[in-house]
Amino acid sequence: MNNLTLIVAIPFLAALFLAFIPRREKDLVQPVAMMATLVTMVLAIILFVRFDAGAEGYQFVFKAPFAAAVGIFFHFGVDGINLGLILMGSIVGFAATCVSFGEIKEREKEFYILLLVMIGGILGSFASVDIFMFFFFHEFALVPTFIMIGVWGRGDRKNYATFKITIYLVVGSMIALFGLIALYLQAPEPRTFDMAELARIFRENPIGANEQNLIFPLLMFGFGILVSLWPFHTWAPLGYASAPTATAMMHAGVIKKFGLYGLIRIALPMCPTGAQNWLYVLAFLCLGNILYCGFVAMRQKDLNLLIGNSSVAHMGFAFLGIASLSLIGITGAVLVMVAHGLLAALTFGLSGYLYNRTGTLDMDKMGGYLHGLPFIGSALVMAMMAGCGLPGFANFAGEAMVFFGAWKPFPIITTLAVWGALVIGAVYMLRAIRKILHGPVNEETFFSIVDATDWRQRAPFALLLATLLLFGFAPRLLTSKIQPSAKAIVNMANGVDARIATAASLNSASDDDAK
Amino acid sequence: MQGLIWITLFLPLIAAVVIALFTRGQRDLSARLSIGSIVIAFGCTVLYCCATQMQGGPAAEPAWLEVAGTAPGDILSVGFGLILDPLSLTMLLVVTGVGMMIQIYSRGYMKDDPGYSRYFACLSFFTFSMMGIVLATNFVQMFIFWELVGVSSYLLIGFWFGKPAAADACKKAFITNRIGDFGFLLGILILWSAFGEVNFAILKSDFADGGKALADLGGIGFLSMTTIAGLLIFCGAVGKSAQFPLHVWLPDAMEGPTPVSALIHAATMVAAGVYMLCRVIFIFDATAFFVIACVGGFTSLIAALMATRQDDIKRILAYSTLSQLGFMVMAVGMSHPGGGEGASAAMFHLSTHAMFKALLFLGAGSVICALHHEQNIWKMGGLRDRMPVTYWTFCVGALALMGCPFTSGFYSKDAILLLADPSKGGSALFFIIGVMVAFLTPFYMTRLVLVAFHGSARTEEARHAKESPAVMTAPLGILAFFAIIAGLVGIDAILAPFFGTEVHYHNWGEAIIAPLKEPVAGLASTFIALLGAYLSWTIYTNAKSDPLPEKLGPLRIAASWARDRFYFDQIYKYTFVAIHDAIASVADWFDRWIISGLMVRGTHGTTELGGRVLRMLQTGNLQTYAFLSMFAAAVLLILLIFRG
Repeated sequence: MNNLTLIVAIPFLAALFLAFIPRREKDLVQPVAMMATLVTMVLAIILFVRFDAGAEGYQFVFKAPFAAAVGIFFHFGVDGINLGLILMGSIVGFAATCVSFGEIKEREKEFYILLLVMIGGILGSFASVDIFMFFFFHEFALVPTFIMIGVWGRGDRKNYATFKITIYLVVGSMIALFGLIALYLQAPEPRTFDMAELARIFRENPIGANEQNLIFPLLMFGFGILVSLWPFHTWAPLGYASAPTATAMMHAGVIKKFGLYGLIRIALPMCPTGAQNWLYVLAFLCLGNILYCGFVAMRQKDLNLLIGNSSVAHMGFAFLGIASLSLIGITGAVLVMVAHGLLAALTFGLSGYLYNRTGTLDMDKMGGYLHGLPFIGSALVMAMMAGCGLPGFANFAGEAMVFFGAWKPFPIITTLAVWGALVIGAVYMLRAIRKILHGPVNEETFFSIVDATDWRQRAPFALLLATLLLFGFAPRLLTSKIQPSAKAIVNMANGVDARIATAASLNSASDDDAK
Repeated sequence: MQGLIWITLFLPLIAAVVIALFTRGQRDLSARLSIGSIVIAFGCTVLYCCATQMQGGPAAEPAWLEVAGTAPGDILSVGFGLILDPLSLTMLLVVTGVGMMIQIYSRGYMKDDPGYSRYFACLSFFTFSMMGIVLATNFVQMFIFWELVGVSSYLLIGFWFGKPAAADACKKAFITNRIGDFGFLLGILILWSAFGEVNFAILKSDFADGGKALADLGGIGFLSMTTIAGLLIFCGAVGKSAQFPLHVWLPDAMEGPTPVSALIHAATMVAAGVYMLCRVIFIFDATAFFVIACVGGFTSLIAALMATRQDDIKRILAYSTLSQLGFMVMAVGMSHPGGGEGASAAMFHLSTHAMFKALLFLGAGSVICALHHEQNIWKMGGLRDRMPVTYWTFCVGALALMGCPFTSGFYSKDAILLLADPSKGGSALFFIIGVMVAFLTPFYMTRLVLVAFHGSARTEEARHAKESPAVMTAPLGILAFFAIIAGLVGIDAILAPFFGTEVHYHNWGEAIIAPLKEPVAGLASTFIALLGAYLSWTIYTNAKSDPLPEKLGPLRIAASWARDRFYFDQIYKYTFVAIHDAIASVADWFDRWIISGLMVRGTHGTTELGGRVLRMLQTGNLQTYAFLSMFAAAVLLILLIFRG
């Protein structure tokens, strides 16, 4: 069991342990979950520090058979692409466990078991090198989402939201699954689920162009729906608005990145021709996310719907980076994924904090909260500023890189995206600050708010903010690790490797002729 | 010693963080930390100015972001360097020097405010960000600090966030600035795509051939890419330096505490746009320069007109700031491609303006404090005798602003007018604008001084006003001293060689009277200024309310336009804001009813409909089944026959 395996295993083991705790010991439940996620987080930080950016391929590899007969393995490994995601996921997992304390008052045991399964599932999915396990672990993370919204959700549209998010995400994963199966079937016998192996095979024997043109859209739309690609995004704001705080943090922050990760890790390198043909569609659709959802966010009265729409809008930057198919753009997209994960968790955590005190997130019923909430209010201001791309937070670095990467292939789309990032983002974020924190005190709700004073309440927010600032001030901590892996993917997606391989084989062929 | 400049830059940030995290409760300690950090920064700056061998900045430049791809479009290298040259040092002196005075003054002005520590934390954060702009070695680094300055301005304008006006003003300032930054960022992207670089020094050498790589990108319509890139970069300055059409945020920004208005919205931050233009002066071509000069000139003129009809003491000064910034921008625009004569004049005026405008704002703050936050000049009067230090220092500031001979403003204004001097080959258009501004400035400043300080007290508060404490008047005195002498300490002589031009005098004695030797630019404009002051004197001496509209007769309507700021706010409200709101509501409606409603419920509905249709088929009637299977067989048969 190496470090990476422990990161995946501990949440599951903790969930198993909780299952055997008698129901009456409910004071034990949250601390156990918190300790487990804390250990996971510490291990992930150690993993991040010990990661060697210079080495090629996967590191911290662990391989054990799951169903060896059909080629399925527990095969874990990290490279530059998933390293940041695992770190981000474990931090968000810990924060989500912390904020649930005090919010979840019934059926705690079940809640924390589901939460731990969710955390373990998504970390396992990111860590998996085996496509089957990659998908399988994701389902572990996805299914608890539906149950948690249905059981512990809030608001009177809870049932509708559960219904909607379930349909969308199940359909999305089905389409992605079709794509993955189709991809799997393209490899020659004996077939393998190993991503690295598949990538190698498809580099040497590329899939036919027609097949690629069919498989890539399956993956693009399948994964896209899971990431709330416009126009398949409407599940997200409503789903998050109805979800318990921890679920919204985990899903918007971490689980949603599964789709983007799949696009970068699987779709781009394995279907390069399909990507070349389809990515401009993605570039156009990402404008739907950035501009359209930005405009929708401007009109929201409910804080959670605003954050939900803005989170959908932010996904547009990651899509744009992917569509640019350039090293800068892809590196930027990965950075955006990490940054947005932390940010989404932070904003949903803060809005959950407010909701638990006031019982409403209707911004017309708020006002002047900064008077009573120096800590939470400042954190919210910082979160909103990070959300509109303020330098100093990791989001800016990621978005700026995406713009640099996408400028050459898509100048007009990038121009509009910059408008979305700088102006529209600022409009809705500052509007929220104006309505919630600034202005005269709203007597109706003001007296029910209490600032976070003890460390247990403050830690999750401080931690998320500190990480955002760290990667904002020194984005190279991440980008230098992302780059080598991103370069390999970009080279494959652009067919550089294929061309080199062809050239090499041509040369050897001509050598043969000479002989 | 090279490490010292890093300490200089980061010390204010450390002060801000320490205050925010640890010393919020200890008011006095917070103020000391903040002031201490800026005093050290100022001391270091002076040291750099004296020790010329230390100039140039650290050789090693750590990378902030680096992407090293193989394709030419995949290389992005953003350093984090610090540049120390005459241009940045001049600006740094202004930022730390004026900033130091204002922070000391703030100890008196803000002493009863519950947010005292927060105030100093924000000020320190602002100092850090502003120094970052000044010291930046590349576009992305500058953009980063550009945004940080924007957010510190946001925090300080909204310092009294409970007041709806302040809360609205900070939001407006930030968003308006963001519109300018939109252009700025696009300009950076264009420059990067042409040269693959964002570093100023490398770009400058790339532009040695006139920026051929940029021109090769083609253009849009009749504009070349060089012009477009230059104008997009200029957009950043339009936002930050509040030029037309993005000038609307600055007057509203006066909702912040007065020392903040003095520091950020008069002396330093709003001048950052001008500084940025001077820093990258080499990227502009003739068309871009002409547009810049026009925008600056127009702003300068309309702002001066608006200033004549305001009643709020801070707003008068705010419009005056707009007007002076426009004047500097116009100066920049009067440069020639490859040259920097305008930039030299603009930076000179920027430095002197920082002194006297900060002085004026602090004087206004002293008055406002004494009158328990009354800002309407018609509710003041007779303060001359009750607040002598404030009065005299304010007069010094006003005289310098008017361009009264032998004050600093006289020399710097003359440097700009000289560029436009038609008798020396300048542009008549810009000269006329310059002269009109030179007429209007004394007009509104004399009005302000006469109404606020002379005559008899018009309200009870004005009657009982008391002079401010020494912690506030001492900075006034020091700034007044510099407002007089700043024109003669040689700022222009240091800047001129840097921009490849020269000054028109040889020694100190000549420097004093240099402008008076210019018959057109110097003497004529001084005469015009005196005329403006005299006119104002005749109208406003002992006036009880504003007599200007009656005196204007048929032009009264124009006076009311000027009072209502030429309706720019309303125009934007009904165009820009309305369009965004309209799009937003359409998008929201579409999301709710079409995408969510029709598509989601529609899919749901069709599935259900399909189920019903299929149920209808299951009648349980044998004949129907037989018919259907026969029918299907027939269809299959036909298909097979036709395909075969």
